[in-house]
Amino acid sequence: MNRHYFHTMHKSLIELNLREEAEIVSFNGSPLMNRRLEGMGIRQGKKICRISSQYIRGPVIISVDGHQAAMGRGMAAKLIVKPAKTNGV
Amino acid sequence: MRVLLMGNPNVGKSAIFSRLTGSHVVVSNYAGTTVEFTQGVLRTGDDSMEVIDVPGTYALEPTNRAEAVASDMIPGGDVVINVLDATQLERGLYLTLQLLMTGKPMIIALNVWDEAQKAGIRIDAGMMEELLGVPVIPTCALTGEGIIQLKTRLPEARSSARITDNGVTLWQKATDISKKIQQKPDRQTTFRDKLDHTTVHPVYGPLFALFVLLLSFGFVAYFGEFLHEILEGIFAFLWLPVALWMSGLLGSEGLLHDILIGGLIDGEIHFEESFGLLTTGLFIPLAVVLPYIFSFYLVLSLLEDVGYLPRLGVVVDAFMQRLGIHGLSIVPMMLGIGCNVPGVMAGRMLETRKERFIVATLIAIVVPCMAQQAMVIGLLGQAGIAGLAIVYGTLFLLWIVMGFLMNLFLKGESPEMLIDLPTYRMPYWESLWKKIYMRMSGFIRSALPYVLLGVFVVNLLYTLGAIDYISRAFAPVITGLFGLPGEAGGALIVGFLRKDVAVGMLAPLGLDLNQLIVASVVLMVYFPCIATFVVLFREIGLPDLLKLTVIMILVVILTGGGLHLLLRHAGF
Repeated sequence: MNRHYFHTMHKSLIELNLREEAEIVSFNGSPLMNRRLEGMGIRQGKKICRISSQYIRGPVIISVDGHQAAMGRGMAAKLIVKPAKTNGV
Repeated sequence: MRVLLMGNPNVGKSAIFSRLTGSHVVVSNYAGTTVEFTQGVLRTGDDSMEVIDVPGTYALEPTNRAEAVASDMIPGGDVVINVLDATQLERGLYLTLQLLMTGKPMIIALNVWDEAQKAGIRIDAGMMEELLGVPVIPTCALTGEGIIQLKTRLPEARSSARITDNGVTLWQKATDISKKIQQKPDRQTTFRDKLDHTTVHPVYGPLFALFVLLLSFGFVAYFGEFLHEILEGIFAFLWLPVALWMSGLLGSEGLLHDILIGGLIDGEIHFEESFGLLTTGLFIPLAVVLPYIFSFYLVLSLLEDVGYLPRLGVVVDAFMQRLGIHGLSIVPMMLGIGCNVPGVMAGRMLETRKERFIVATLIAIVVPCMAQQAMVIGLLGQAGIAGLAIVYGTLFLLWIVMGFLMNLFLKGESPEMLIDLPTYRMPYWESLWKKIYMRMSGFIRSALPYVLLGVFVVNLLYTLGAIDYISRAFAPVITGLFGLPGEAGGALIVGFLRKDVAVGMLAPLGLDLNQLIVASVVLMVYFPCIATFVVLFREIGLPDLLKLTVIMILVVILTGGGLHLLLRHAGF
């Protein structure tokens, strides 16, 4: 893997492995939704981890700052994160 | 003086409210909106002040209607008690800082203090007080710890001179302050985390949900039956002699006797079938319906206060999305099982018109209220479980098919769910009882007059010969399509007023199993009672209510007719 890609390895929350630690980079949704997420403590710079996903396109369970929340897949796909470790890529 | 209780959702605000105020609380609508808030009175010495439990909010720039109400209420308050969850300090501080910027005198209740201690979180409340410039009192609403200090220090509430707009963002400030005053260890996995996890696990979550729902409904059915038998005994022992005495006084017949006591069966009063105001009119709501309503609200309020409902929403979300609504819509529907009226009202929490329409329609058509269910269980249960299984199976099927079709054909958005999953908590019993009490008294106040009116109308219709007329007029539908005797038409008319009374009217008709099943389904599906209708009109407006009515008439004709034919072919 080339070095450039190594540094820009941002993923959406959906692409993040289960239980993999990551840091929130940005949210590519509406400003209103962004405010709602922020209010719930899901905001830039926070450590986030995907705990589980329900089957058949159900919501994603996340853990941020020691509390849990559930969000729809579409929303999770717009939440961009940076994995803490790059797992030997 | 008016005290506003403000904080994020799920920080124990309502428990603090319960601790501060006495037993007398009022739920009202915020002017011009459909958002509810609770109001009570706090007495300290000779002083008494009004306390308002403001809807929970994460920030003062609103993102939904409840939050808009929360920020609108601030100018009307004199003092703010800001409730913070000590285990979620940083997030809560964001709202705290916004509140401090408004300049209102404020005091902070640092709640859930005991849990924070248990989790090894150390917060320096003294330093917090100094940094924020307002009093900070650690509390635990569950045990009542700190409530007295909160009351005594309430007069010290003041606006903060320390928080100013110095260019640093509020989030940054919240992070800085929480870093200074809080020591948070790395979290260890506890039993509760595991429970949290299991109940939203992709495989075990749905199994657990099924288990909880079966257990809940089993409890409602058996405990309801148990209470019903006790009350039936009380009626037979205490009320029957009084009713018999009055019956004799009225001469055992005549118009007044028929209206008050009803018809005698073999010279005896029969509480289920006599249909007088003072016999069946009191027996149905108090001895048949009330026991089931109580059992149901007991279970529902417990699930709510423990914190299971959001998780149930998560588990059913994938399925509910196919019906055009997200998982949390399960909450209004569960409430609708108790009584359709609060169920339809709870549909307000949904954001778009499409979602609200789907939920209102499903509640009105396929979610039978507990009053009606109690009567149907009594009527059909005698003939074994098969009849009940067919009735509930039909409703469940209708729920899915109707939701699916509405999602397909209705225009509009169905947003995804986003919800906090608070950790499981022991309920605070006093606020739990208060909630159950409020729900029960709401039922008695709104249902009892309608039941009496319903029974009165039944007697009037019989006396005037109107039932015969209606039966003949609707015979093609009632007899031809549904295979029911003409007299069942009377039940359909009374169903407008109260469904439980309507089901009660079927008892003396001597229906066979096929007819009982069809009549129960038709009564459950067609027009909701008048109280629900009024609330539907208020919540979704006239055009949508008309649309709903057309859907309902189609559904009732197709389902009633189809079920009748199917059952006949199956040999019922």
